[in-house]
Amino acid sequence: MPEIKVNHLSHTFGKNTPAALTVLDDINLTFPSGSFTSIVGTSGCGKSTLLKMMAGLFVPSDGEMTLDGDVINGTDNRRGMVFQQDAVFPWMTVAKNVSYGPRLRGASRAEQAEIEAKWVEMVGLKGFEDRWPRELSGGMRKRVDIGRVYANNPDVLLMDEPFGALDAQTKERMQSDLLKTWNQTKKTVIFVTHDLEEAIFLSDRIIVMSARPGRIRHIEEVSLPRPREDAMRLESEFLDIKRKLWGMLEH
Amino acid sequence: MKNLLRGRLFLGALSITTVLVIYVVVTNQPDNNPSLLPPISLIIGSFFTNLEAGTLLDALSASLFRIFLGFLCGTTAALVIGCLVGWYETVEYLVDPLIEAVRPIPPLAYIPIVIIWFGIEEFSRVLLISIACFMVCVVNVIAGMKNVPKVYVDAAATLGASRIQIFRTVAIPAATPFIITGYRIALAAAWTTLVAAELIAAPNGLGYLLQEGRRYFLTDQVMMIIVIIGVCAFSMDRAFRAIQKRLMVWSEARE
Repeated sequence: MPEIKVNHLSHTFGKNTPAALTVLDDINLTFPSGSFTSIVGTSGCGKSTLLKMMAGLFVPSDGEMTLDGDVINGTDNRRGMVFQQDAVFPWMTVAKNVSYGPRLRGASRAEQAEIEAKWVEMVGLKGFEDRWPRELSGGMRKRVDIGRVYANNPDVLLMDEPFGALDAQTKERMQSDLLKTWNQTKKTVIFVTHDLEEAIFLSDRIIVMSARPGRIRHIEEVSLPRPREDAMRLESEFLDIKRKLWGMLEH
Repeated sequence: MKNLLRGRLFLGALSITTVLVIYVVVTNQPDNNPSLLPPISLIIGSFFTNLEAGTLLDALSASLFRIFLGFLCGTTAALVIGCLVGWYETVEYLVDPLIEAVRPIPPLAYIPIVIIWFGIEEFSRVLLISIACFMVCVVNVIAGMKNVPKVYVDAAATLGASRIQIFRTVAIPAATPFIITGYRIALAAAWTTLVAAELIAAPNGLGYLLQEGRRYFLTDQVMMIIVIIGVCAFSMDRAFRAIQKRLMVWSEARE
């Protein structure tokens, strides 16, 4: 089963120079298969850097990460990533964006059409298949982005504050819909955010990081029942976790 | 929107008409010298004289042939080299200083050396136009490649795209707006260089007719050719804008 492990990972920008800056210091983590983990922390704690390293976009100066025992070295289609910025290709229609990954690997037209139909519907964009991204709202473009990553069938989903730029209502709907999709696919998800409520609502486990250098400060198991409902956001158990974690973040 | 468009067309027509009216009024003054400022009737007359004699069509086809060939060679080279320079850092470090050093030299400065090396044959004229097209186009292609948003490249990579696949499916489409603009500027440069190249040494072409008009003091012919060049360059640019609009259907800013 796909499982990501981070072993003694450290990263220093400008290593061996006077201006060296350590952003990650001896991180050890295991992300079990099928789990939903969030990483929270104030800006500068290195959470995005850590995620980019797991994607293979960034090489750590020390330590290593493995996926199913294979050392992660560069990007490949096993670890999909959703970015905070808008990464939907504006020159492709919604459907073509969604089937981009399979098309790279030579999927036939019929296979592409099948994948497009399935995932466009899964992310709630049925009827928008032939629209250009410029015709969609920010929330809808994020849906395209998520559909595109899912359609590529990665082992692990890495999400870097994907809903950071959305308004509050859209954000909550996207969170519920993301959980629905996750529930149907049971893929390992690693979700970086600075929004505690978002982290608690979504995750099985929350990793709290402290900044300069980035270290793991606390790991919180979230035992709220699934499926998660919006009303849970106001329950005392939810708020207790929020209060506890809030105190740990450096304000 | 429709009103705005109509207003725009009206204003455009107004400015052209105003210039024409002023020209007519000035050329109708009793002390006007028609050898210096020929009335519009003479200019139109010259158009038909040259048309009937066949000289105009000959010149036009010769010039258009040079434009097309030069444009095609220059922009194709610019596309290939621009992509390589803009995408591969090694190629950039190798070639970019060369392009930057050569870029400020006006293409017309090459006329003497091209004539010395290749004579006053057709090849020389097409070569000059190619150089002019290449120089303005390559800069845009490089800029387009350099401005490919990083998040698109990262997204494609995490979806499993190889470097060459990213180049083909992300860099090229993302750079298209820049590339098309480069092509349009190259077309304008082709016309500028064409006339200059033909003025110096050509047995035919629009530039040759201009030169002939000067030599025999046929101001009406000179004026007529200037208008023809303007109309040709303008309509080609319009055609290019139509293509641009079609290709850029996905883009928010389509101009």
